[in-house]
Amino acid sequence: MAFDCVIVGAGPAGMSAAVTLAEHGVRSLVLDRGAKAGGQIYRYAASSPLPDPSKLGPDYMSGAALINAFEACGADHVAGADVWHVGDDGRILYSIDGETRQIETREVLVCPGAIERPMPIPGWTLPGVMTAGAAQVMLKTDAIVAENAVFAGSGPLLYLVVAQYLRLGVKVAGLVDTTPRRNFLQAASAAPAALRSASLLHKGISLLSEIRRAGIPVYRQSVQLKLLGQTRVSGLSFYSNGLQQIEADTVFLHHGVIPNPNMTRALGLDHVWNEDQLAWHVKTDLYGQSSIPYIAVAGDGGAIVGGDGAHIEGRLAALNILMRLERISPETRDRLSRSPVGELRRLSQFRRFIDRLYRPSDALRLPQDEDTPVCRCEDQSVADLRAGFQLGARDPNALKSRTRCGMGPCQGRQCGPIVSDLLANWRGEHVSDVGYYRMRSPQRLLSLEELSRFKTVSSLQPRAREASR
Amino acid sequence: MKTADVLIIGGGIHGSSTAYHLAREGISVILLEKDYVARHASGVNAGGVRVLGRDLAEVPLSKISMQMWQTLDSELDADTGFRSTSMVYIAANEADITTLKQREARMNAAGHTHERIIDQRELRELLPYVHPSCTGGAVSQQDGHANPYRSTNAFRLAAERFGASIVEGTELRNLRRVGSSWIAQTPKGTFEAGTVVNCAGAWADKVALMIGDNVPLNHAAPMLMITARMPHFVEPVVGAVSRQLSFKQFENGTVLIGGGAKGFAERAANKTRLDYEKLANAARTTIDFFPIMTRAAINRMWAGLEAYMPDNLPVVSPSANAENAFHAFGFSAHGFQLGPIIGKVTADMILTGQPGFDLSAFRVDRYDRKVL
Amino acid sequence: MFRSLRENVPETVQVSVNGHPVQVPARQTVWSALALSGQTVTRKSALSGEDRSAYCTMGVCFECLVEIDGEPNQQACLREVAPGMVIVSQNITEFTMADRDGL
Ligand SMILES: Cc1cc2nc3c(=O)[nH]c(=O)nc-3n(C[C@H](O)[C@H](O)[C@H](O)COP(=O)(O)OP(=O)(O)OC[C@H]3O[C@@H](n4cnc5c(N)ncnc54)[C@H](O)[C@@H]3O)c2cc1C
Ligand code: FES
Repeated sequence: MAFDCVIVGAGPAGMSAAVTLAEHGVRSLVLDRGAKAGGQIYRYAASSPLPDPSKLGPDYMSGAALINAFEACGADHVAGADVWHVGDDGRILYSIDGETRQIETREVLVCPGAIERPMPIPGWTLPGVMTAGAAQVMLKTDAIVAENAVFAGSGPLLYLVVAQYLRLGVKVAGLVDTTPRRNFLQAASAAPAALRSASLLHKGISLLSEIRRAGIPVYRQSVQLKLLGQTRVSGLSFYSNGLQQIEADTVFLHHGVIPNPNMTRALGLDHVWNEDQLAWHVKTDLYGQSSIPYIAVAGDGGAIVGGDGAHIEGRLAALNILMRLERISPETRDRLSRSPVGELRRLSQFRRFIDRLYRPSDALRLPQDEDTPVCRCEDQSVADLRAGFQLGARDPNALKSRTRCGMGPCQGRQCGPIVSDLLANWRGEHVSDVGYYRMRSPQRLLSLEELSRFKTVSSLQPRAREASR
Repeated sequence: MKTADVLIIGGGIHGSSTAYHLAREGISVILLEKDYVARHASGVNAGGVRVLGRDLAEVPLSKISMQMWQTLDSELDADTGFRSTSMVYIAANEADITTLKQREARMNAAGHTHERIIDQRELRELLPYVHPSCTGGAVSQQDGHANPYRSTNAFRLAAERFGASIVEGTELRNLRRVGSSWIAQTPKGTFEAGTVVNCAGAWADKVALMIGDNVPLNHAAPMLMITARMPHFVEPVVGAVSRQLSFKQFENGTVLIGGGAKGFAERAANKTRLDYEKLANAARTTIDFFPIMTRAAINRMWAGLEAYMPDNLPVVSPSANAENAFHAFGFSAHGFQLGPIIGKVTADMILTGQPGFDLSAFRVDRYDRKVL
Repeated sequence: MFRSLRENVPETVQVSVNGHPVQVPARQTVWSALALSGQTVTRKSALSGEDRSAYCTMGVCFECLVEIDGEPNQQACLREVAPGMVIVSQNITEFTMADRDGL
């Protein structure tokens, strides 16, 4: 027996899709490697280890409602299912309990979420250098914080984590803001439309004033960031009104998120370059339907839409899937979509404003220094890649074959965007002509033993039921 | 219009090696490649450089090629990554030993002594981590492995140094004979040459048809997987007499696992799909023979598009139906090792008409004739 | 310095980190155990031999690879601790030889 619909990823997109499907009588199978539903943004929102999780803010707390609705909707949630292959034939492979399971499904909804944009500044491989996303994951999952850390970069997530730290009484050594001055001008033209989302705008502004009121050092328009230290990080130097230096044993970097490309790429879905977000997006219609009709993508894994946007996209994708499964008519789909589509439009106007305001500078997206590592797994620097390029490797995949850049366990998630940008510069062409790595499954390291224990599953095992309780 | 003496179709190892051997002799060469050099089988293969276990018809070519590999880096002024590590075929039981002995008799009768049968003790010495129940095997001393992408590009870069013109991203769409010229149409313009060489790999039957030869070529997608770095535990390349086992550990510690299992090939789209259930079998076989591999972490899996002839022997031959046209394709998943010699032989066919080897088993029209 | 904001921990487990016994809250990640124990080096870079540590803590970067109960290449940020778990930082470089004594 094949499943009607399998959802990969139990973040806001995946959860809201499962809830919508359930409302119309389709019981979906939801796979997520996490121990609990919630995804990145609502991670542990319904079961926080923090004494007072409300300090993380009302947005986070609102995740608990979605998680509870999801858990009550009757979808089969298999926690700890690490999906490492989704095929264009609708076959899905995942690891669980040291085994490989294969399932078949009529419809697939892929919600792999976002990853943070790499920030290849000198020293970014030193122990103690982490991402702002990591700061938040540690906080949400295990209530762990880094005292006296520096936060560097720009974007809403960075400010949010700093504010959360401050609310929780954690000392912050400084916020090194890299948002260029000209971004404010560029963003101004999108401001009138964004104003229609006044509450979102207000949320952002109040975050910044909260940080300012806390009195921590904030450095604006910072440039030429360098991490200090030999064997682990000891601080950050940069220019902001002259040369500055802050000592710290932990530095959190962040300048935005991009869709996690590996699964959608390995699937062979069509992707398009989005110049506003400086990232590849999955080509989909309004309902997230990809270039392969029975495969849909929702949430940040397709294009960055944020937690609220992911929630709506999950619902829209589910409505389309319901129509494809002939559970609702096209007219019903359209009628039920009207309000979420309007909501999504409004959010995307605000998103455009944010994209302009926090557009990462070229100097931070592209390593400025020949010695800076690009590939963290295989230790390939800009100079190494340039040498490969000069030997005729003009394509990202050729450069990968030549230098091993992108061949390590992270499968190019960190170096991929940098390599395409570097090649675009060297070739004097646009990045959309350069393209991206050709990705393959598995999307994670897989032990030979795990692979050798291969089972095809046509209905849920008792173990899975148990986990969903 | 760009013109040259010889037009080569295909930037794999055979096209690149042919370009090198011709350019070195002062012949002007244009090579057309639809994607980029080493994009397909030549750049993504398992890197095995072996004489061991070859069809008798191929052994003479393969032995000379093996000699060429030993000095290839200095000849091409490049780093192909070639390492002569030896290769071992494992006999799992007495039946396998019998198979090896029969083969040894045939090989010796033909005057070949490079394969040597080994007993259980020597097997354990060569492969300390092999399952203790394995009874023996055969070893070929000069065999080893190289880096496919780098090796193919080593020929390409050397050819360019001798003046060959390598044109990437340029697909041959139409080829005709006009007077004493071959005229090649591509989306990036027209090319003209007196002689044409078909090294088009999995697409070679299409090019052969343009030349005027019809061949029963098939294409398929053999699959590979490679692990994250492991502590070094095996030096020789490893195969097995009667099981689909094949792997090697590179100097960087990664272990490449093959075995011949095939995925699904979609050549029009340049695409391959993997058959994970078959890869799971390969994983099981590998663990059966080498329990140390149980916890090896697979990092990547892929497949390449390869050309197969029904008899698993290549076509290395002048055209049967046209003048000044030559073929080198259909290497049936073991052509990488032959790269150095095939370029040389093809160049010799073109330049002197004397390949220096008996190539009758590799004729393009061998399926047209009645075989007695 | 990493520290925990948890106020009461109902259940703890003992694990070993590079040979040192460490008491940590049950069900937290292996990375959190490393962070709280102050032993934050997860792996050595296979080429340069430099120390590396967790970077993303969400399964993306593979910098947090450690050996858990003898099994290498485990992502510390995705695995949960279990009683008696033996965690060792991963030292596999290009030059590591298999331990023939283990035969
Ligand atoms: C670290 C981080 C923190 C963020 N914090 C905020 C914030 O505070 N506020 C805000 O507005 N936005 C935040 N964002 C953006 C926000 O996360 C997204 O907008 C939103 O979560 C997108 O929802 P999603 O469902 O698409 O993806 P996600 O929420 O990321 O969910 C995807 C799920 O898929 C699972 N998954 C992925 N791959 C596999 C696999 N191979 N096998 C099994 N499961 C898999 C993951 O475990 C995850 O649970 C943050 C982003 C990141 C990366
Ligand atoms: S810290 Fe990035 S994968 Fe674990």
